Amino acid sequence: MAGLELLSDQGYRVDGRKAGELRKIRARMGVFAQADGSAYIEQGNTKALAVVYGPHEIRGSRSKMLHDRSVVNCQYSMATFSTGERKRRPHGDRKSSEMTLHLKQTFEAAILTQLYPRSQIDIYVQILQADGGNYCTCVNAATLAVIDAGIPMRDYVCASSAGFIEDTPLADLSYVEEAAGGPQLALALLPKSDQIALLEMNSRLHEDHLERVMDAASKACKDVYAVLDQVVREHLQELTTLLGDRTAA
Amino acid sequence: MLKTEKILHLKARGRSVRAVREHYLREDVRCGSALCLTCPRDGKLLSEDLTHYVVPDCQILQDYLEVLEFPELRGIIIMQTACQSVQHQRGRRQYKRLCSLLRDTRHDCILFSNEFQNHAYLPREMGESALAWQTRCIYNSCVWYYQHCQKKIPVVMVTEDKSVIRQYNTETQEVYVVSFQIYLETFWPNLKGALELYKSLKETHRERELESREGNGKEYPEHLPLEILEAGIKSGRYQQGVLSVNKHRAQLEGFVRLQGLGGKETDIQSDILIYGTKPRNRAIHGDLVAVELLSRSEWKGRNGALCENETDEKAVDAQAEVMPTGRVVGILQRNWRDYVATFPAKEDIETQGKNAQRVLVMPWDYRIPKIRISTQQAEALQDYRVVVRIDSWESTSLYPNGHFVRVLGRTGNLEAEIATILVENSISVNPFSEAQLAEMPSNTPESPWQVKPEEGDRLDLRKTHLVFSIDPKGCEDVDDALSIRKLPSGHLELGVHIADVTHFVPPNTYTDIEARSRATTYYLADRRYDMLPLILSADLCSLLGGVDRYAVSVIWEMDSSTYEIRRVWYGRTIIRSSYKLSYEVAQQLMDGDLEPLNTEMELHPLKQDPVRLEQLLWAVGKLTEVAHATRMRRDMSGALELEGVEVRVQLGEKHSIDDLVPKQPLQMHETIAECMILANHWVAKKIWECYPQHALLRLHPPARQEFFQELKECAKARGFSIDTRSNKALADSLDQANDPSDPLVNQLLRMMATQAMSNARYFSTGSYTEDEFYHYGLALEKYTHFTSPIRRYADIVVHRLLLAAVNKGPKDNLLGNKDLEELCRHINVRNRAAQHCQKQSTELFQCMFFKDKDPDSDQRCISDAVIYGIRTNGVLLFLPRYGIKGAAYLKNIDGLVLACKDNGRCHWMPGSLQRLPDRIVVTTQEAKSFSYCLFDHVTVRIHVQSSRFHPDSIRLEIIRNRPHSSQEALPSASNPQLARSELVKEVTRTAVEAQLAVEGAEELKPVEHYQEYRQTQGQSLYSMLEELWDLALLDVSGA
Repeated sequence: MAGLELLSDQGYRVDGRKAGELRKIRARMGVFAQADGSAYIEQGNTKALAVVYGPHEIRGSRSKMLHDRSVVNCQYSMATFSTGERKRRPHGDRKSSEMTLHLKQTFEAAILTQLYPRSQIDIYVQILQADGGNYCTCVNAATLAVIDAGIPMRDYVCASSAGFIEDTPLADLSYVEEAAGGPQLALALLPKSDQIALLEMNSRLHEDHLERVMDAASKACKDVYAVLDQVVREHLQELTTLLGDRTAA
Repeated sequence: MLKTEKILHLKARGRSVRAVREHYLREDVRCGSALCLTCPRDGKLLSEDLTHYVVPDCQILQDYLEVLEFPELRGIIIMQTACQSVQHQRGRRQYKRLCSLLRDTRHDCILFSNEFQNHAYLPREMGESALAWQTRCIYNSCVWYYQHCQKKIPVVMVTEDKSVIRQYNTETQEVYVVSFQIYLETFWPNLKGALELYKSLKETHRERELESREGNGKEYPEHLPLEILEAGIKSGRYQQGVLSVNKHRAQLEGFVRLQGLGGKETDIQSDILIYGTKPRNRAIHGDLVAVELLSRSEWKGRNGALCENETDEKAVDAQAEVMPTGRVVGILQRNWRDYVATFPAKEDIETQGKNAQRVLVMPWDYRIPKIRISTQQAEALQDYRVVVRIDSWESTSLYPNGHFVRVLGRTGNLEAEIATILVENSISVNPFSEAQLAEMPSNTPESPWQVKPEEGDRLDLRKTHLVFSIDPKGCEDVDDALSIRKLPSGHLELGVHIADVTHFVPPNTYTDIEARSRATTYYLADRRYDMLPLILSADLCSLLGGVDRYAVSVIWEMDSSTYEIRRVWYGRTIIRSSYKLSYEVAQQLMDGDLEPLNTEMELHPLKQDPVRLEQLLWAVGKLTEVAHATRMRRDMSGALELEGVEVRVQLGEKHSIDDLVPKQPLQMHETIAECMILANHWVAKKIWECYPQHALLRLHPPARQEFFQELKECAKARGFSIDTRSNKALADSLDQANDPSDPLVNQLLRMMATQAMSNARYFSTGSYTEDEFYHYGLALEKYTHFTSPIRRYADIVVHRLLLAAVNKGPKDNLLGNKDLEELCRHINVRNRAAQHCQKQSTELFQCMFFKDKDPDSDQRCISDAVIYGIRTNGVLLFLPRYGIKGAAYLKNIDGLVLACKDNGRCHWMPGSLQRLPDRIVVTTQEAKSFSYCLFDHVTVRIHVQSSRFHPDSIRLEIIRNRPHSSQEALPSASNPQLARSELVKEVTRTAVEAQLAVEGAEELKPVEHYQEYRQTQGQSLYSMLEELWDLALLDVSGA
C-alpha cells in the first residue's frame, strides 16, 4: 500500500469523517460498585476504564502527605490485549509512567485538592483497546469517574487530540492517522473557562499553524464536553429515579 | 452519523495481522451531479447536458484508465471503491494519474465517495471475494445515484466481467450494465480512437496475463513450494542449477549451469538460457534455482553482438542457433552475500517520490539488480561506496528490498575500491586476533626459536643432505626445498622438503580455524593478505637458508640411469637449507657461469670451497636431468605443453609487457615445477591408498568440446588445425600452430585453449569414482596439492592426511568424506574469489593508470593490439603491451561504421558490417570495403570509461588498421620493463600523494608498505603453472 491518503480531495478522512468531526463517543458512569467512582468510555475504537478511590487517608509512606491539599495519585496502564498484537506491558515502562505523570498534572489542576488536606485521591485508568488518542480518552474517562466519586472539580476536564495533515487541522486522530507520523497535539481543557490543564505536542509544527490546530483541538474538547455533560446528566437522571424508586419503596 | 467497523487483514512483515478500522457512514455525501438539487453545488460538477452517466468498475479503471482519459468521454463517475482498488493494486503511479485526472476541471469526471454514503455502501459479507464485493458495492452505488438524481438520467456501469453483466443488467430499470466495448460502440460511435486504444490495451493485457499466469498485480509469478520443486527435480520436470547472469547483458541473459544430473538421461547438454527478468523470477546471480524448460518454439539464441549495459537492447537479430530456454519456477537456495552499492545522484533521489527514505541503490556488480533500501542518509552518502544486504524480494516488487550496512569509502579512492573488491568477493581480512597470535611461537633476537630435542622422531637431514631452495628473487615464504645425492647403492636419492606448517598449526586451533576460513593467501596487485600470521609464513615455516627448520619430506630412490622410481619415503624431517638460490642464479650456475659467486652474498664462502661448490653444481645439474626425464614421461601420456609459452601469456595477460620481448623461460623454472608436480603426485597416490574414502585430491576435468569451437575457428583463419580430441592431441597441434612471423599467434591460441578449459578443483575421493580423478592438464591419474602449505589450506589438510598415513601424526582429527567434501567446496569457492579478486584489482590498477592520462595526447594510451575474436558489431582485441583484453566496436550507436582511409587512419562513416567466420568486413557507402581479420595487428587508443556505480572500465578504439609502429620511439616503450609492478607503483604513489594531500604531511609509510609486500606473488613459475588451470575461467559472456 503506497502511502495512505489521510485526507481525500473530497475532504474525507480514511474512516469517513470530515476534518473537524469526532469519533463516536459512548460512555457510562458508575460501572463498578466497589470503587468510589468509576466510568467506562469509548471513543471510536479506543476504550478506557477509569476507577477513582478516595479521598482517603494517605496509604503507604506518610512522607508524601501534603498539609494544604490532597495528593492525587494516578496510574495509567494498557491491557495486554489492547493492541493488534498481544504485548506484555509491565507497569512502569516509560510510556506509561509518562502518561501517569500527565494524568496527575491534569487532575491536580482540575480537582479542588485544597478541600482535602492530608488525604489522597487515587485515579486508576486502563486502556482496554487502543486505537489512537489514548491520553485523551483516559482523561475523559477519569473526569467521569471523578464526578461519579463526587469529588469537587473546577470544571470538567475534556481532552482531545488534533493533528495537522495537508494544511488542514484534523480533530481526534485515530491510530492510522497517528501512525502516519504528522504533528500531533493533545489538549486537556477546562471548557467553561477555556483554561488549559495540559497541552502536549509530539513533533514540530510551524508557529503559523499552531493557532489553527489549537482552535481545532479546543473546538473538539468543547464537543467532547457536550457529550460528557450529556452522559453525566443522564446518569444523574437515572440515579435519581432509582433513588426515588427506593425511597418510594 | 452511523458507525460500522471494517475488519481488515493486513500483512505486516510477512505476518497476517488483524486490524479493525472504524468506518463512518453519512447521508450528506456530495454527489457532484448538476441535476441534483439537494447537495451543495460547490466544487467540480458533472455538466448538465449529458444523456447518461457512466461508472467504470474496478477492472476497467485499473486496466483502461488510458481510454477513460479521452476528453471526449464525459459524465464519468468514478466510485471510491474502484479508486481504492487502483491505489492498492496498481501502485502509486497510476493512482496519482487517476487523481490528477479527477482534479482536472476540463475533464468531465468526478469521484463519488460511495463508501461513506449510508445507502450506497454495502459491507462485505463473510466469505465474499474482494472483487465480487467491489462489483456489488459499485452497482449498488449506481442504483443509489440514479435514484438520488430523481431518476432523471440513466446510469451505465461498464465492466469486463460477463457474469456481472448477466447478474445485474436487468435488476434495475435504467441502470445498465454493459461491457466496455459495447459501451464505446453504442454510446460513442464516432470516437474511433478510444475504441482502438481499448482494443490494443486489451491485447496487451491478455498477453501479460498469459505471461504471468496468475499475475494479478504481481510483478513476478510466485515461486513453487519446496516439496513440489524437489519432486519436480526428481521426476525430471524441472532442472536444478546455479544461475549466472551475463555481465554484459545483465537485464536479459542469464544462464543456468545444470548440476546434479546424477545419472538422469537428459538431452540437454549445454546451459539453459533464461531470457529477460520475468522468467528469471527474482533469482539473483549465484542462486541455486529450479528451472522449467520452455517449449522448443520459444527457445531463443544468445546475442553475439558486443553491447554495453547502458544502451537499450535492440531487437535481437535473428540468431540461427537457439539454445534451451527456460524459466525459473523456484529458488532452492539463495546465495545472497554483501553487495557493494552506490547511491544514485541527488537529482535522481528526488524523482523517486516524496517518500525519500526509500532509495534504489545501484550495485557495483552489473549482474545484481538494483536494491531498494530505506535510509535517511541518502544524500550524505552520495559519493560513497556502501555495503548493502538484500532482505527479501516479494513477488509484488520489481526490485529486492535490502538494508544499508556500512560505508566503505569514497568512490574512486584507492582504499575504498580495494575494500569494494574484497567485499564483492566476500573476502574478510581482519588482522589476526590476539587469541590467534597467542598460539604462535615467538622468535625474537633475545629468545630465538629453536628445534626442540623431543622432536627426536624426525629424520635429521641436517648433516647428511645438501638441501637448497630455488625461488624467485626477494621471496620470503619459502615453502619448498630440494635435495639430491648419490646413494652408496648407486641409486639416486631425490628429496622434496616442504615446510611443516601442521606442526605449528594443530587442527581446530584459532589459527587453524582462521586459516580454514581464509583458505588461501590473497594476492592483490599491490598487497597481499596472508592465510597464516606473518611469524609463520615469513619466518618459522619459511625454509630460509642457514637455519634449522621442520619439514615434511618426500624422498625417492631412483635408478641412476633410467630415473625409474624404486622406493619412496614420506615423513617428518629436520633440515637446514644451505643455499637460498634464485632462479636466475641457479640457471647461471647450471650453465657453468660462476659469476653469482661474486655477486651473491650467500655464495661467497663457496669460492674458497671447491668441494662444496662442486657438490652444488652437480646437484643442480642432476636435478635438471631428473626433472627432464620425468617430464618426458608425463609428456608421453599427454600432458599439455602449456607452461612455457602459456605462462608468458599469463604474465602478459595479467602483468604488463614482460612477454613482448620473446624471452625463453628459464629451464630452472621447469625443473622446480616438475619436482613439485612429482611430489604432489606421489603424495596423492599415498593418501588415496591409505584413505580411499576421504583423501583430498585435485582433479581437472576434460574440457567440453563445444568450448573449443572458437579456438578451432581462429586457428583455421591462420591455416592451422587444432585437434582437441584428447589432451595429447591438443598439446601436439598447439605446438605445430606456430606462425614464425608473429609469435603472438601461438600465444593467443594457447590463451584461448586455456580459456576453453574447465577449472581444476579439490574434491574428496569418497564423492567421486576413481576414473574421475584424472588431471587433464597434467595428464596424471591422481594429483593433489602438497607443496605450498603456507599459502593454501588444502595443502595443510593434505599434510595432515599424509602424516596420519605414515603414522607420524594424529589420526583422530581427520575429516570424514562429507566434511571434507564440504571443506573442498569452501576452498574451491575461496580460490575462485582469490582469483577474481586478483584480476579485479589488476583491472582497477590498469584503469587508475590510464585514468589521469589524456587519451588524445598521451602516447602511452596508444598501443598495438591483436584481433583475437570477431563479433557481429566489433572485434575482441588483445594488447600485448599492457596485457589488456577488450572489445572495440566497429559500429557505433549512431549506426556509423569504422572505415579506414588509405593511410590507415580510421573514421566513423555510414556503412554496413558483414561478419564472416574469420573476418569482419566493413563496407562504406562509397562501396569501399575493408576487412579486419583475425590476428591482424591494429593500433588502438585506450581510454577509461568511468561510471558512478560500477567499476571503471577500459575502452578501446581502433584508430589505425596497421600495427602500432612508433613504439620503439616512445620513451616508456623503450624501456620494456614498465612492468605491472611499475604500474602498481605509479598508481600507489598517486594514491598516496592524494592521501597525503588530504591528511597533511605524514611519513611516507605507505611506500615502505609496498616494499614489504613484495613476495612470491605467483612469480614462481611453478605456482603460476598451478594457477594456470584455475585461471581458465570460462567467461560465458564471450565478450
